Amino acid sequence: MFDIEDYKDVEPLPLTQDVTNEEELCRIMYCDEYKQVMALMRRMISKDELSVRALRLNSRAIELSPAFYTAWNYRFRIIEHLLKEETQLQGEGHDASYMLNKELDWLDEFTLNNPKNYQIWSYRQALLTQLYPHATFSREHPIMDLMLDDDSKNYHVWSYRKWCCAHFKTYGQEMAFTERFIKRDVYNNSAWSYRFSMLKHSDVDLDQELQFVLDKIEYVPQNISTWNYLGGLLQMMGTSDKLVEQLLQFSKKYIDESAFAYEFYARMSKLSGTANGKDVAQMYSHIADIDPIRDQWWNRKSLQADQGK
Amino acid sequence: MQRDTPLFTEEVLQKHVKFLKRHLLLLPASHQSTDVNLMAVVFYAFESLAALGQDIATDYQSNLKWMRSNYVSQKVTDEELSGFIGGPTMNIPDTITLSLPNTLFGLLTLVLMRDMEFFDKVLNKKTLGKFVSRCQLKENGAFVSVLDYKLGKASIIDSHDLRFCYIAVAILYTIGCRTEDDFKEYIDVDSLVEFILSQRSAFGGFGAFGEAHAGYTSCALSALKLLNKLDELSSLEKEKTLQWLIDRQVTREGCWEKQDISNEYYNEDDHGGFQGRENKSADTCYAFWCVNSISILYPNLKTMLQTEPVKDHLLNRTQNTLTGGFSKCYKEDADLYHTCLGIAALKLMEGSFNGALCIPTHAAKEFDL
Ligand SMILES: [Zn+2]
Repeated sequence: MFDIEDYKDVEPLPLTQDVTNEEELCRIMYCDEYKQVMALMRRMISKDELSVRALRLNSRAIELSPAFYTAWNYRFRIIEHLLKEETQLQGEGHDASYMLNKELDWLDEFTLNNPKNYQIWSYRQALLTQLYPHATFSREHPIMDLMLDDDSKNYHVWSYRKWCCAHFKTYGQEMAFTERFIKRDVYNNSAWSYRFSMLKHSDVDLDQELQFVLDKIEYVPQNISTWNYLGGLLQMMGTSDKLVEQLLQFSKKYIDESAFAYEFYARMSKLSGTANGKDVAQMYSHIADIDPIRDQWWNRKSLQADQGK
Repeated sequence: MQRDTPLFTEEVLQKHVKFLKRHLLLLPASHQSTDVNLMAVVFYAFESLAALGQDIATDYQSNLKWMRSNYVSQKVTDEELSGFIGGPTMNIPDTITLSLPNTLFGLLTLVLMRDMEFFDKVLNKKTLGKFVSRCQLKENGAFVSVLDYKLGKASIIDSHDLRFCYIAVAILYTIGCRTEDDFKEYIDVDSLVEFILSQRSAFGGFGAFGEAHAGYTSCALSALKLLNKLDELSSLEKEKTLQWLIDRQVTREGCWEKQDISNEYYNEDDHGGFQGRENKSADTCYAFWCVNSISILYPNLKTMLQTEPVKDHLLNRTQNTLTGGFSKCYKEDADLYHTCLGIAALKLMEGSFNGALCIPTHAAKEFDL
């Protein structure tokens, strides 16, 4: 545990701010602990002391100031150094995983308490790539699950998961993983986007995937995430006459309740040749009626269609 | 020319001014976490005050010396680098603490303070450019925001993404880079552009894991614009990106009425505002990120986008006329960041704001930006 007594021999490098000096902007009335911890850490960073007590101080400093970029850098250097020491002490080939696991435990705890901080994820990536050749994907699952339980659209966590797949060269579970989130909330755009970016790494049957997304559209037609996904899938599958005809009939069912359905229907009509430029122009004009806030956009599309663009 | 009715009554304007100025004075300990990024706080407040027509240069003349003191030179082996640190707490002997975001915020703050002398005599463009240069990654052209404090190389524990790419470009633009050769003196433009384009999602916007995000999209488009590289996007791609942006405006009208409570992020009060991603709630800052992005692709904004509902959402839903300031969304407390971007969005729609640099047009023009 952090104990200020351990740093008696460190000469503090005090914060320079003067609260009474009106030339300074944003004079913060620091609490005593902040002043004390920062003064010590500034000195220790400056001297580049890489030690166990420095790590303890650093934990406290980061808790007080999660955005302190140099503190994260300092932390990494300390861990790197302690790891080297440990390996030298125990001899080559010694597995210091327990030390890295301890660091990841600390990071997990910190992450749960600071969900919006983004430095944690790149710090984590650095630990895994630079210092931890024995890391496993499964060690990473619980923290990602917990974070996504709390906010199923947390951008950093989804990004990190994608990074993990590439790092551990493991893509096998991703389709099932996203399905869990889509089942819970069919509007979860992170889950849909992530799923789309994983398609090329999976061995899923595209016809089956098509049925999957059509079912979800049937469930709620006015959902942009699913129509986007369908559009992307269509691009991968190629626009065969049969498929275009199927999607033409499918989207037609929802044109009264969904602007996305209508737009998709217009595209299929054009692709299949069942509608000419004038017809498509009329369709876009109609979308302007059911999506009035974007009327200028749809009228522009209408004009383009009319001019054969 | 017909004058629009002013955005704010004198009474509300004064409330905003007071709200903003408070963030520059004495702050309670709850603001401690901003201590290492003070340039951001100062910039958000100054940018907003300047956009509201306040005379920053005069009002804060006495703070100029302090502002400049955050611009520092640091030595790595034989090379001299310069830039801004996050604040006095980041001034640590023998430690490289320059930061890309704080450098942009610091430079633009001095622009807002009309400190011509700084740009003519104090600023060392060469060493600042070298700092920016060191933040670029060789492997993919992207930027990190800080250097390793001892080694002076791009930090391996920092993230690299479109935000820092944009910031790097905006810094170089602010210190005078205009042509491709100007930029190439410091950075690898080709690999940077390649990285930016690699972040474009299948659905038109830009983002990190295939999910487009309005903030990243604004960074990507602003960077391409400042680099004069927008035409790296084909007209078809531009059209798709434009549609993705236009689709981010939230509405309760037409077929959207049928959207039921099954989408927990759908809220009638969001009408007119912008969301940052598909199926998310409207949020003040995304009005800026989206409107800026749209205006980069399509400068004749008002023939593309209904700006009245955006204005209405900002002024009647996220503006706090009691405390001053703007909040992220309806019924939340105002905060500095959303106040800055709420005002920026309003001024951008009025045509008096340089969105790519996020400062008022008059301030940019004075410095040939
Ligand atoms: Zn926001």
